[in-house]
Amino acid sequence: MLDLLQNSLDGLMTGASYALLALGFTLVFGVLRRMNLSYGPAIMVGCYAATWLSLNVAVGLFVLALVTLAGAILAGAYVERLCFAPHRTGSAVAAMVASFALWMQFEEAVTLALPKHLYAFPALYTGPPIAIGSLTLRVEALVTLAVAIAICAGLWALLYRTRFGIAVRALIDNPTAAQLAGIGAGRVFVGVFAIASAIGGATGFLIAATNEQVTPMLGMWATLKGLLAMMLGGLGSLPGAVLGGLALGLVEAHAQWFFGPQLRDLIAYLLLFVLLALQPGWITRWTTTRSAS
Amino acid sequence: MTSGRLLLEVRDVVTAYGKIEALKGVTLAVEQGSITCLLGPNGAGKTTLMYSAAGILKPRSGAIRLAGEEIAGRSPHEIVARGLALVPENRLVFPAMTVLDNLRAGAYQRNDRAGVDADIDRMFARFPRLKERVEQNAGTLSGGEQQMLAVARALMSRPKLLLMDEPSLGLAPLVVEEIFRIAGELNRDGTTILLVEQNAHLALKVAHHFYLIEQGRITFSGNPGSLAEDEVIRRAYLGAEQK
Repeated sequence: MLDLLQNSLDGLMTGASYALLALGFTLVFGVLRRMNLSYGPAIMVGCYAATWLSLNVAVGLFVLALVTLAGAILAGAYVERLCFAPHRTGSAVAAMVASFALWMQFEEAVTLALPKHLYAFPALYTGPPIAIGSLTLRVEALVTLAVAIAICAGLWALLYRTRFGIAVRALIDNPTAAQLAGIGAGRVFVGVFAIASAIGGATGFLIAATNEQVTPMLGMWATLKGLLAMMLGGLGSLPGAVLGGLALGLVEAHAQWFFGPQLRDLIAYLLLFVLLALQPGWITRWTTTRSAS
Repeated sequence: MTSGRLLLEVRDVVTAYGKIEALKGVTLAVEQGSITCLLGPNGAGKTTLMYSAAGILKPRSGAIRLAGEEIAGRSPHEIVARGLALVPENRLVFPAMTVLDNLRAGAYQRNDRAGVDADIDRMFARFPRLKERVEQNAGTLSGGEQQMLAVARALMSRPKLLLMDEPSLGLAPLVVEEIFRIAGELNRDGTTILLVEQNAHLALKVAHHFYLIEQGRITFSGNPGSLAEDEVIRRAYLGAEQK
């Protein structure tokens, strides 16, 4: 019973970062109706920029966080301009394939800059975990959870309390009607992309500082977790993205407990496979809905 | 009633979907202050013309002028900024957003917060059923309520020219009469309206001028009464007989 509680707690903590990854992914998918395969890699660029800095200059965590954020936003802008802006009214597949190409480019770029397979990243917290009764709680996980809650609250306020938020929700609901209401899709897309990149950058920093390392696999890992969590929660739904992330964390934590770490990822992908098998039309139905022209 | 000035001029517009020309050179004009109707059977090109004027589709050739300014090929939000608003076919409300947010979306380009709030109150006065449902998601509204919401949303941008694409589609007769009554009211209050309809009978009751469109071309232009009404209805629903 105690194991169940501890695993569930750990799962929810990991799930918080998955939820954030899923949120960024879903924002682009829901509004632009395009899958951004460079989402994780752009985050990785931010993390590597901070890593490079930490290896050459002694700077505090706050500066590293800012650099990660800036790197992710700049990389994201690069992706948006090259892959998504040119294909706004055209093929969804062309945009996705282009983003896949930039994924490759980002991976090559970070490996050229920092060739080792693994680099140390400054720790978010170096103290011991907190004990609550017989349960242990890592402080880094609590910080991530707090940041996740703050980001979700901020995003909610943006979507439901601002004019920009109305534009975003309108474009998610019906892109044609949104344009007829005078909403300029191009400008909103740039804003949404920037917000998704910022969320990704913040999440990337927390993940790197919690694991105290970065690897060139970070890009693919982040994209896969975001994608998987988004699909678990229901494509294109923002609350679903959060729930999907938490659910994924829980599934992984329990799978690891019962089946060991090697099978943990297998079970997560098996779950994705089952979902896709039951609902095969999901992705195509969403990406072929008439995009804003 | 109508000023004689042309608010909208459509000249030789050709709009195509790939190789298929849906509009084969359409020419029409809407006088300022009028209700002008565009009648025609299914597939004649009515919605294609509406979307071409609103910027969702880009004409392959031809001119569309709003108050003298060329708008063909501009993006939809630029056209809304110049004073054109389209109430689209099938309403296209935002189903997951509340009635209030639907109205706010229509006012997206406006910066006068107080003016927007005053207009929202005015919409609720004109459409009391919407006020009852203000916090409900638009997807839960009935067809008639959604139609009124779509009209109110378009009006929130304070358009000079209101385009209405088949507002009677799928609605009960009593509701349709209410929509047409509202269109007449709006027109008397100063809004110029281009009304696309299959329901020729009701449309001709409110129109100052009407056009018939068949297979992508304008085939008749005149005032109600200048073509025998049953001839108009026949051609609007069925198209002219092929000889």
